[in-house]
Amino acid sequence: MNPVSLLLAQSEPTFWLPKSASNFAEPVDNDFYFVYWTSIFFLVLITALLVIFCWKYRTPPGESAQTQQDHHLLLEVFWTGIPILLSVLFFWYGYVHYLQMTTPPKNSISIVAEAQKWAWNFSYASNGATIPGMSEDFNAIRDEVRSGDLSAQQAIARENKILEKAGLHVPLGVPIEVTVMSADVLHALYIPAFRVKKDCVPGRSGKLWFTPLEAGTFDMYCAEYCGQGHSLMHSKVVVHETMEEYEKWLEVAGSYDETLPFAENGELVWKRRGCISCHSINGDQKVGPSWLGLYGSMREYTAPGVEAELMVDEAYIQESIRFPMKKVSKGYPAQMPVVKLTDKELLWVTEYIKTLGQDSGGTESPRKEN
Amino acid sequence: MSQPDTEAQPVSGEPEASSATTSQGKPGVNYLNATSTFASWALTLDHKRIGLMYLIGVLFMFLLGGVFALLVRTELFSPIALITPMFADTPELQADLYNKWFTTHGAIMVFLVIIPGIPAALGNFVLPLLLGAKDVAFPRLNLGSFYLWVIGAIFFTYVLFSGGIDTGWTFYTPYSAESGTAVIPALVGVFILGFSSIFTGLNFIVTIHKMRPPGMTWFKMPLFLWATYSTAVIQVLATPVLGITLLLLILERALGIGIFDPRNGGDPVLFQHFFWFYSHPAVYIMIVPPMGVVSELIATNSHKRIFGYTYIAFSSVAIAIFSFLVWGHHMFTSGQSDKMSIIFSGITFSVGIPSAIKVFNWLATMYRGALVLNTAMLYGIGFIFLFTIGGLTGLFLGVLSINLHLHDTYFVVAHFHYVMMGSGLIAFVGGLHHWWPKMTGRMFSEFWGRIACALVVIGFNVTFIPQFVMGSLGMPRRYYTYADKFEPYHQLSTVGSYIMALGFFLTAFYLIQSLISGKKAPMNPWGGNSLEWYTPSPPPTENFHDTPDATDPYDYEGLVYDPATENYSPKTQVS
Repeated sequence: MNPVSLLLAQSEPTFWLPKSASNFAEPVDNDFYFVYWTSIFFLVLITALLVIFCWKYRTPPGESAQTQQDHHLLLEVFWTGIPILLSVLFFWYGYVHYLQMTTPPKNSISIVAEAQKWAWNFSYASNGATIPGMSEDFNAIRDEVRSGDLSAQQAIARENKILEKAGLHVPLGVPIEVTVMSADVLHALYIPAFRVKKDCVPGRSGKLWFTPLEAGTFDMYCAEYCGQGHSLMHSKVVVHETMEEYEKWLEVAGSYDETLPFAENGELVWKRRGCISCHSINGDQKVGPSWLGLYGSMREYTAPGVEAELMVDEAYIQESIRFPMKKVSKGYPAQMPVVKLTDKELLWVTEYIKTLGQDSGGTESPRKEN
Repeated sequence: MSQPDTEAQPVSGEPEASSATTSQGKPGVNYLNATSTFASWALTLDHKRIGLMYLIGVLFMFLLGGVFALLVRTELFSPIALITPMFADTPELQADLYNKWFTTHGAIMVFLVIIPGIPAALGNFVLPLLLGAKDVAFPRLNLGSFYLWVIGAIFFTYVLFSGGIDTGWTFYTPYSAESGTAVIPALVGVFILGFSSIFTGLNFIVTIHKMRPPGMTWFKMPLFLWATYSTAVIQVLATPVLGITLLLLILERALGIGIFDPRNGGDPVLFQHFFWFYSHPAVYIMIVPPMGVVSELIATNSHKRIFGYTYIAFSSVAIAIFSFLVWGHHMFTSGQSDKMSIIFSGITFSVGIPSAIKVFNWLATMYRGALVLNTAMLYGIGFIFLFTIGGLTGLFLGVLSINLHLHDTYFVVAHFHYVMMGSGLIAFVGGLHHWWPKMTGRMFSEFWGRIACALVVIGFNVTFIPQFVMGSLGMPRRYYTYADKFEPYHQLSTVGSYIMALGFFLTAFYLIQSLISGKKAPMNPWGGNSLEWYTPSPPPTENFHDTPDATDPYDYEGLVYDPATENYSPKTQVS
């Protein structure tokens, strides 16, 4: 135990630390307060000495010092030794708790969190479902609350509605192992209430784990700078009271209703698989071309060594999703990641893009050449 | 870049010699007014003129970096887009603009201000004087470093006008490999600045080795020289690694060689290792010289021998050595192996020890001294306070378990600002006041100096203490917009930055005023006993007419204060 174990983790945020909702909150907070009180002690000591010395020994120019003593071996040993001792203690507690935090137990539930610019997707090993983070929707709620269109209660209700089919969901009291990955640049998965963070490195996978100790909804952020949408790339973690509740949620949220029209499922794919973060459906210009009026329009593209024009048809759409770098739409950066859609998802999203196309009344708003 | 005429003008045409000009010097002629053609400044080999040109350049860049800091802080006053809409139309472009602002702020402050600030600007001026030498060992190389700095600054200016750069000053891959902004010009700029830094370091190492005056053994050197020497070693050994890394990144962007970008088979974590192998030691390039400056400020203005000389000297060397072994503590969450993280955490704490030793020795120096609380001394005391906070908050980040929570939050932002700005820049400003009379021959207003110092220190704390709190509450860094619960902290922080800005503008105002109408500076206004106080203010071009013998830099007993001239002079020469 830590010397400062009296200051146990509390569930409500304190002045310094956010909610404590996982098994790591207690050890991390104890370490934090151990360093904190040590620091306060030294800061107060040093500041007090500075003030006292300035007060007592202040003179006008020209006076001589009361002493010219310039060394004292015992003092040097004393103020070298104490910091060394404290450092060893700090290191030791950090090390012991770090080992716990990097060693997930064998019976953990496995979830894969894949980051991309600027969205999260969570894949659940138990049924293979992929659930989106829905950052866009949470940002829309934020905006409406700020503009006064939405009360705090309405906002929570809206969030809960979204979270029925979005976010990172986990059951209470069970160890969760999250494998983090990235489809493009660096990101980092950060859940302050759980005190965990791990970089999502493209080309590698990382791991973090925790056991949620409080049911409820918690903030989740991207902590590694990833460009334009970095600060919008947040989502929620939902901790369910029971395993049953969690499993029931997973079954509903993870499935597509295959009786729905293709285009409706396609819209879900657009939201769930992160297309939403770069492609608008209302003509707004984002990183990639808007899907409004895309289908059936003429586009210039660049391919290695080639610049040409084509009409956007099903084949081009599906090729661009499977192999984004083959023919890059002119005027847009070659940044689209490979999103591994199932065959059905690919079919649905293609249908969805078609409904937004030229024939279906969508008007094109071509991006200005730069 | 340099404005030699305006700089030389206030002191040119002095009717009489400084009170202490020796018999051999021509009265009234000093390094500022000895010659006044443009070429005599642009092609000067005089370390004092080069130092002054560096100073003007660095201060100008500090203004520029500061403007970007204020833009960033103003934008963050509210989570809603506040001032970016004045410059960009869509929310996406506004976010891009914010990202360019914080990148520009960071890159300018690190590469163009803090790294060259004390070594190249103040160090260039003071180092040969402290050694009783006529110049640095390689004056032409010195001028070369300055022009490399200018070229680097021009590249950065070009970046500003060609749309900016949005990668963060750390240039992390793969984002920096694909960002559509002017990354390559910025990298070239930093690469060139690196050579400027290496040449300065090389010059100082040789100068300190070969040009010490008779009687000055290593352990009789002023502590500023120990600090500069340690820093120079880091500059020479670490900067080439940065150069290589940036070259590789340029090749990655231009040719796709696949070393850092995973799409071509590279590894982004490798970039972080390379980058921090330089950039962690670079933190000590930024903080060790300030420690040296503060050792001089505290001892001189306490009029008492520096306490624990050898401990302070060796702690500078220790920090320089340890600085090469701790880079991995920037990467505890990056996916480097756990074993490495544990080892790096352990070594990281070893840096804290020499830092603590210095703080306690400075305090012991003040104990029972004769403290003259002039502006420079107040900055020195401010440094000890701010550096204590900066150092102690580093402990939180060194503890592995806490780091996983605090990494990449505002807690880190606040911590490194306390070290790099609260300590590094505060000591730079303190040193500037300490040596201002020597550099310009003019005294500044102590009254306004103390007020400005109070504004800067108070404003600094108001800016960054809220950032510690919101960081530990979970606010990630480099965020253009944020959750509403963090708004009060951001607002307080922004207000603090304005207070600080007011302090700096006030400083600029009274320093410029001192050039125009300041009292003429005596030879030794503060009562220092190192060699720079044994030559007139401002010094003649050749610094000393005869090579002086080494003094004991911390023996203040032999000096007598004359209230009429506000000058300290050796007892034997009392008139």
